[in-house]
Formats: sequence, structure tokens, C-alpha cells
Amino acid sequence: MTVLFGTLGWRPQSLIPSIRGTEGLDRVVVYHSDHAKSREARSRVLEFCRSLGVTASGIELSDAFDLLQCASQIRADVRKEKDAGSSVRFNIAGGTRLMSCAALLVCILEGVPATYVHDDTYQEIPLPLLRIAYGEGLTRKQREVLAFLVKNADRDFTETALAKSLGVHKATMNHHLRELEAKGAIERRPDPTDARQLFVKPAPGMDLLLG
Amino acid sequence: MGTDDRQVLPALRLLPYDRLVLVAARAAFASAGFRRLAAIEPSVEKVPVDAMDVLACLEAIRHAIRQASRDGPVRLSVGGGSKILSSAAILAAFQEGVETWFCDPEPIRLPVLHGVRIVEAFAPEEAILGRLVRGPMTLERLVLSATRRGLSRHVASRAVRSLVEKGLLDVTIVGGSAVVRPTATLGVLRPHLRDARKA
Repeated sequence: MTVLFGTLGWRPQSLIPSIRGTEGLDRVVVYHSDHAKSREARSRVLEFCRSLGVTASGIELSDAFDLLQCASQIRADVRKEKDAGSSVRFNIAGGTRLMSCAALLVCILEGVPATYVHDDTYQEIPLPLLRIAYGEGLTRKQREVLAFLVKNADRDFTETALAKSLGVHKATMNHHLRELEAKGAIERRPDPTDARQLFVKPAPGMDLLLG
Repeated sequence: MGTDDRQVLPALRLLPYDRLVLVAARAAFASAGFRRLAAIEPSVEKVPVDAMDVLACLEAIRHAIRQASRDGPVRLSVGGGSKILSSAAILAAFQEGVETWFCDPEPIRLPVLHGVRIVEAFAPEEAILGRLVRGPMTLERLVLSATRRGLSRHVASRAVRSLVEKGLLDVTIVGGSAVVRPTATLGVLRPHLRDARKA
């Protein structure tokens, strides 16, 4: 099954070239804001899809100006389709800047092919993205350590405590943490009560990386 | 940055810097917003772009990041300017592996892994194969060309499969033969393949 996702603003033209140009398209999912013009554009896109015999649905984003919220919602939907074995692509041309950026972020993190549609020519432009999940820039062990830190972000772990919690040798943990620190995925912050102790924390935004 | 300097000011306040490089549409550099910004930061360096062309913006930003990286770490703020410019900046950030923030106006750090550049996604044999495919050609001819460059048939075939999975090559059967075609993505990423050879 081929599913086309798209962000939509006031102009259905930003999405229609992708609907026309996607071979074997089965379903279209459109994200839009609660603005009346955006809802109107959604209706026109759904009508166009009906005329082609393609199933389509519109999803109104609760806050089209919240990057993280938009990204989480879009990512959950994309993952659901990918897990179901669908071939997924994304048109990020329409919608607010935040919606569009959130969709692009999801495409980069999930390795989903994304396109842009030129505002004047309506030509569809494929964006240079690889179909590999961005998190693969970390090793499996590094992802495990980072996931543990993100899950327990409210707790304080020294390097030793972290090694104990994850059942690995201190030296091994030190190696993983140095790699993660070099990639900007973790930070070490001094214990406010004892400056000699350093707590390991995930860097801001790393929850997004892991999804 | 677009014509509204208020999109840039939060980033200037929140992200410490030694040098400020501003990427914007040509028209934005003539705006009152830019004049106000230049009054605050007279040494600002300008990178004018065609803000309607996402790929041109991407290349300009990547180039600016690489230039600035020679002098030290780079921090990117992607919240200002048009939607196209913001999207291109996000793409450039992930391709070049630099710390990136979206200030609108609250700062949100994007999950870019430092120093993890897109070239690292390509094994040397993939870079060789990617450079060999300029247009449609049979798989057999491609593998043969790769073996002339020192790759075994097995390694070359594996690299083709990997490039297909990454969305850089398409393989179709034409008249009983497998034909390999470069995708549009490969066209845009060719310069990265050259870098992979150097890496």
C-alpha cells in the first residue's frame, strides 16, 4: 500500500501535483490547521482524491504552531503506516512553517522520501533525503544508553550509577558516554551539592531522535 | 531570516556566538529589519539566497556551514525566513551534523548528532557505484565497471542493493535484464559521494 502524507495550508495546489504524481497511490493523509481557509483547502483535496478513487482523510492539528506537538503527532501516524508495511512518502510544501518543518523533521528521522512543490511552477521537487532512520547514526548500544537516559530524565545518574543500572562495566559505559557526548547526544552536569560529581543527562531534543 | 528581524533576535539573545552569519533572500538584506539587526551586530556576514529555490538554499547554507566550521564549532538557528529557507536550513543541519535550534520564540533544540555528516552514510564502495551511475544502465554493465575499479562482484552487488534501499537507485526489469537508474535524490547527493571518497 502506498500512502501519501501532506501538510496543507490554504492552497490545495501545493499537494495536488504529488497526488497526481504518486504511482499506485492508495491513500492520502492531510494535516491542516483549524483555520477556515485551511479546512476549505482540505475539503477540496479530499474531493479531488474522491474523483480519482483514492481514499483520503484530513487530520486537524490541535496546535499548528507547536513544533514538537506537530512532529510527535505526525511521527506516530507515519510509524503506524510503516509498521503496517505501507510505502510512505510526504509532501511538506503546505501549511504553516512549523507544520512543514515538523513534517520535514519526521521525514529525516524516519527516512521517509519527502517532496516540495514549487510555489509558482507547481513542479514537485524531491528533497535529498536518505531512506534510513537518522537514529542509525548511533550504535545499538549507544541508542540503548540514550533511551534509558531519556526515559529517566528526571533522575540523576553518575557514570558509575548508569553502568550499574544498565549492567555494563564502568569502562564500557565510559566508552559509550564519550561517543554520545562527542555527538552532542548527552551532557554532563555537575551535582549542585558536590561539584566533583557529574550527572549524565540526555541533551535537549534527544527524545525526538528516539521517538 | 526573512524581512522580520524579530525572528532572529531571540536566537541572538539565547545562543552565544563569536561570528554571526545571516542567510536570507536578497530582498531581505535591503529591509528595515536587516538594517536594525546590522545596527546591533555591525560585523554580520551576509549570505544571499534565492529563497524560492529549496535546493539552491540548501547548497548555500551547507557551503556557509562548511566555511564557518573551519574557524570553530557552528550553531545554527533555523526559525527565521521563509518556509523554504527554514526547511533548507534543517536539511543542511542534518547533512552537516551541526548543533541546531528552532527559536520561535522559545528555543527548541533539534536532534542533530554533532559531526555525523551525510557522507558517513555511504560506504566507499557505495560512493564508487553511485558515481558510476549517470543514467540508465544494465546491472551487469554497472557491476562490470565496478570490478574494473577494484571491487569484487559480490561487494558491487551488495552496494547496489544498499543504494536502492537508501533511495538513490531504482532497479527495473527491461527485456529480461535488470536496469539501474539514478533517482533524483542521487543527482542532488552526488557532491556528498565525492566527499565520501575523500573521507
